[in-house]
Amino acid sequence: MANRLSNDFQFIDVGRQDPQKKEARTRAKEFAEIYEPYRPQEAASQAHRCLHCGNPYCEWKCPVHNYIPNWLKLVSEGNILEAAELSHQTNSLPEVCGRVCPQDRLCEGDCTLNDGFGAVTIGSVEKYITDTAFAMGWRPDMSQVTWTDKKVAVIGAGPAGLGCADILARSGVKPVVYDRYPEIGGLLTFGIPEFKLEKHVMERRRAVFEEMGIEFRLNTDIGSDVTIEALLEEYDAVFMGMGTYKYMQGGFPGEDLPGVHKALDYLIANVNHCLGFEKDLADYVSLEGQRVVVLGGGDTAMDCNRTAIRQGAASVSCAYRRDEDNMPGSKREVKNAREEGVDFLFNRQPVAVVGEERVEGVKVVRTRLGEPDENGRQRPEVVPGSEEILPADAVVIAFGFQPTDIDWLAPNSIAVDERGRIKTSEEAAFAFQTSNEKIFAGGDMVRGSDLVVTAVYEGRQAAEGILDYLGV
Amino acid sequence: MILVLSDAGLEKGQLPIHAALATGAIHHHLGRLALRPRVNLVVETGYARDAHQMAVLFGVGATAVYPYLAYQVLADMHRTGELTGNPADARENYRKGMQKGLYKILSKMGISTLASYRGSQLFEAVGLHSEVMEMCFTGMASRIEGAGFAEIQMQQALQARDAWLPRKGISQGGLVKYVHGKEYHAYNPDVVMTLQEAVQQGDYQKWKKFARLVNERPVATIRDLLALKPAAEPLPLDEVEPVESMLPRFDSAGMSLGALSPEAHEALAQAMNEAGGRSNSGEGGEDPARYGTIRSSKIKQIASGRFGVTPAYLVNAEVLQIKVAQGAKPGEGGQLPGGKVNDLIARLRYSVPGVTLISPPPHHDIYSIEDLAQLIFDLKQVNPDAQVSVKLVSEPGIGTIATGVAKAYADLITVSGYDGGTAASPLTSIKHAGSPWELGLPEVHQALRINGLRDKIRLQTDGGLKTGLDVVKAAILGAESFGFGTAPMVALGCKYLRICHLNNCATGVATQHQYLRDEHFRGTVDMVKHYFRFIAEEVRELMALLGVRKLTDLIGRTDLLEVIEGQTSAQRRLDLTPLLENDHVPAEAPQFCQVERNMPHDPGAKSREVLDALSDAIEARSGGEFSFTITNCDRSVAALTSGAIAKRYGEEGLEGAPITARFTGVAGQSFGVWNARGLHLHLEGDANDYVGKGMNGGSITIVPPRASTFESHKTAIVGNTCLYGATGGKLFAAGQAGERFAVRNSGAHAVIEGAGDHCCEYMTGGLVAVLGETGVNFGAGMTGGFAYVLDEDRTFVDKYNHELVEIHRINTEAMEAYRRHLREVIAEYVAATDSARGHAILEDFSDFIRHFWLVKPKAASLNGLLAESRRRPE
Repeated sequence: MANRLSNDFQFIDVGRQDPQKKEARTRAKEFAEIYEPYRPQEAASQAHRCLHCGNPYCEWKCPVHNYIPNWLKLVSEGNILEAAELSHQTNSLPEVCGRVCPQDRLCEGDCTLNDGFGAVTIGSVEKYITDTAFAMGWRPDMSQVTWTDKKVAVIGAGPAGLGCADILARSGVKPVVYDRYPEIGGLLTFGIPEFKLEKHVMERRRAVFEEMGIEFRLNTDIGSDVTIEALLEEYDAVFMGMGTYKYMQGGFPGEDLPGVHKALDYLIANVNHCLGFEKDLADYVSLEGQRVVVLGGGDTAMDCNRTAIRQGAASVSCAYRRDEDNMPGSKREVKNAREEGVDFLFNRQPVAVVGEERVEGVKVVRTRLGEPDENGRQRPEVVPGSEEILPADAVVIAFGFQPTDIDWLAPNSIAVDERGRIKTSEEAAFAFQTSNEKIFAGGDMVRGSDLVVTAVYEGRQAAEGILDYLGV
Repeated sequence: MILVLSDAGLEKGQLPIHAALATGAIHHHLGRLALRPRVNLVVETGYARDAHQMAVLFGVGATAVYPYLAYQVLADMHRTGELTGNPADARENYRKGMQKGLYKILSKMGISTLASYRGSQLFEAVGLHSEVMEMCFTGMASRIEGAGFAEIQMQQALQARDAWLPRKGISQGGLVKYVHGKEYHAYNPDVVMTLQEAVQQGDYQKWKKFARLVNERPVATIRDLLALKPAAEPLPLDEVEPVESMLPRFDSAGMSLGALSPEAHEALAQAMNEAGGRSNSGEGGEDPARYGTIRSSKIKQIASGRFGVTPAYLVNAEVLQIKVAQGAKPGEGGQLPGGKVNDLIARLRYSVPGVTLISPPPHHDIYSIEDLAQLIFDLKQVNPDAQVSVKLVSEPGIGTIATGVAKAYADLITVSGYDGGTAASPLTSIKHAGSPWELGLPEVHQALRINGLRDKIRLQTDGGLKTGLDVVKAAILGAESFGFGTAPMVALGCKYLRICHLNNCATGVATQHQYLRDEHFRGTVDMVKHYFRFIAEEVRELMALLGVRKLTDLIGRTDLLEVIEGQTSAQRRLDLTPLLENDHVPAEAPQFCQVERNMPHDPGAKSREVLDALSDAIEARSGGEFSFTITNCDRSVAALTSGAIAKRYGEEGLEGAPITARFTGVAGQSFGVWNARGLHLHLEGDANDYVGKGMNGGSITIVPPRASTFESHKTAIVGNTCLYGATGGKLFAAGQAGERFAVRNSGAHAVIEGAGDHCCEYMTGGLVAVLGETGVNFGAGMTGGFAYVLDEDRTFVDKYNHELVEIHRINTEAMEAYRRHLREVIAEYVAATDSARGHAILEDFSDFIRHFWLVKPKAASLNGLLAESRRRPE
């Protein structure tokens, strides 16, 4: 124990130190993660900055309520394998969350030290734990698991489905995960660009999951390849975690002009192109040499901005209707985008895409922030007479997503709300059960598009509901 | 015979009986059969891991405990790498920790050996049905019923279900620190954040959000099971008494300077003063620079450590609070880790920087209610304008104690509940010591009314009060004044980090670290003022709802409360009606204090006579000598004068124009108590207990009557507990002193000719020379100052306490400076007292010198002691 770190004032003596970031010039040209991994000493030294608050605000804010101070302590003691065990107690994909979570508005945002000291680098340590443990050969401990004769079909291999399958397998219930794409991960693989999450991360996770006894049936669409009725027949329960893919329109003229792209289609096509999953070369959208305007202020908008930069766009501007402080996206990603050359235009609300044959520009008006709405966010108000046209060769619209319409919901008495979201309740006797008692659902298709980590959480909670329902 | 009770090796389908229940039941059963002395009861259990759990098992009758689960946990911690090193060492350290923890618990109850503690049942059961109490804990206090065997079995079954379910791992817990979805914490992140938002923005709507979070929390305290009964016709809000008249009822609870940073301590004081309430200094003294300013605490605390309790401290107060105990950790004194004792804190506490300051469990001058009455009298003499308050812990029998306190002429009683803060306390105290104020307050209120004393004394409660609803319920249960500790601290920016003991508080509230204080303390006076205004506002709204105009009309109105059904089956079996009943109380008995002062029976005529004689000399700074006679009915003589001097001249007193008062006769208790600088008392005769208690300066010289034929070093001349808590001055007593001489001395210089047990205990400064025999336990807990002891019969080595001090001969070559110093000390003493013993030693100094010991703290260097004593000549 003698050489363990023991400094009550580490948070002052050692400043917050993010992992090394590649130079913006280099990274703007490649689809590769931009952060170097921590070295063991850096990780320990940074983790040791944690104060171990009596009220761990990080854990409170974290959607999966990771036992953050506890695993930070383990890392500071160099006990990576225990840290990995603990980290997996609350999260099925910690190495993913460590990479893609907007920590600056979750755990790190609420860190006691994020008040002049610099928050503990929770996300980077989280990523470090699992990456290092995997490299050391660590695998989730399945030795105590007794397999029951129950099996559950999981529709969708995105974060919700994987979270659900993880808990089911650890509880001895066989999960079979169906996905229409050729690789697991859902948007983790096909939506999130590789500069945030390299694809080998999901490949490794897939191998780990398969070792745990999770079976994946990919390239399989429920409804066309296999019917829901067949699943209900074959399995003891079904979990739906199919996400939200339907693109939300801006509702202004010109949205259908050639050169206007839907954010997800654009991102997915790019990943398919990079990974060689492309079925038709025509699906790929390259914005090389073009003047690009991205509309929206969330994390998806940032992904589009930075993808366009990497594709070699002549310029990339991002127009958002509120100011920078009110952007929903992670501040860290905004900073990264800006470093890589994205130009931000705040307080601009698009009113039309203009152009004859194809896009020529976006007409925007200036806004200022008015009274707060029912959620406490200030509403943007239009400044009269402030119209201007941003010239553009391509426009990417990233306004958010809604659940896709699925024709087999109603026949199987699965109720949805007015926005097409599946109705469930976390507080019900069986958490996340739908109106069909054998079917559970979670993630974006229940709550509308949200973070990866909330989808993981709901998938895991739904699995608990399923286990209770199955009496395991 | 050895009987082993075990819950090891449980199998699926079996439910364990809690080890305490099983042990108690067998202990009592064997006792009834008169067989208990023939059996040793060994308990092998997973239920006992910490010192509290051990103490419970011993207390209900176990002979020995084998905590197998604790050892398994240690082994597992080695397996996972959380612990490194030799496992056998870890087990030994664990046992050592248990041992120390048990010592602490036993000592809190005034018990020295485990054999005396075994089966003593010094507990209160909260929430157990009488069927359980009768079978398992016959005779233990239990006031509100609760879970019976059926509920206990059900809880066990639920636990067993999860325990045997393979998919449920070991739960993260959350008992000590907040964990989402586990144990409810009253100051959880939501509560802290909404409270801070409300007071930082001064937004009453946000306050309501905070109040809802607290007032509608899951049942966490007894008061959560009591609901208000709204009036059929609520009052309009403007008919309820205004916020301004409510604020004087709010005090901040004692939090010392030392625990808190000066910035936080001062902000709290200023806020309370501006709002019209009162802040409490806590037990760490106060910087004299704050006296008389808006940053001075109106309540000055007198705790067992007596840190910085000087005459000037005492006269700069409206209320003097005797902290008998603290709700969150009854039986323990304050604990200030050495890391927080910087130069300022050490100066104000008359102690040494870097040395941990642990206040003793008891006040060494209070061993009975009469002693307490004497202390109250002492305080009322030194500061006749102040009210004296006594802080008691809510525990069974507090009603009787409170009655005694009222009869001892206290003006105010605080009933302190267990759910307060004190993050620097031992965990077992935070979790398991103390009792809710909801139980103690009605008991006190009823007892005072039955005995016709309620109108003489004010009643306050504290312990986890957060919102207006808490205040209203406390008022209904009998309080007219309210203390708040943690909440105003949170208002100042505390985020409930529970690292107060590490000096690294990131909010700058509970640290002495300069950078954290300068750069990270963001609290303002307004935040605290908002907090109290919002509470008052909420109280008014609730009073309107109840149809009550004045807060005093709420007091004792238990008909305004109703017991609501609990959320669990165990809660539903609680019987809270005793809290609301007033069966034995005369209906017309007053419900709240009707007098300004609870005037003592003893007018203190002699003190008055002395002050009258001296007052011109004090005012004119003309010095002089005065003579009086004295009898043993004259208590606390000259305290009134010391108080007057301190009030007029502050801590400096009359140093430039000293006054000598000569007495002949026998002095009553507390002669020279809180003596001010420049006041020299000379007594020919002898004195009772508490001579020079808390003295800050001047001198007290006591010599036997001229006609006395006794050998002075074999004759008592002063009683027990002399110089307790002294901060300076000189005491020369030509004779023996009683027990506990110079306990918690932090600066006085004393020469006596013999002492009883416990001399110099917890001493942190000053010099004591004993020219004769001493009792045992000399120098226990002594961390500062030093002593000379004359040990002619060579018994001292076995008498002094070896834990923190060491002894040196001074007849060696290297110790010449000490020899010279001792000679000066004795020469000065002889000059003052003309003691025959003193003369004899001086005459034969080279012979006596080999019998002297120098006693010093192990941590102090030999070279520094003399320099230190010269730097502070007194």
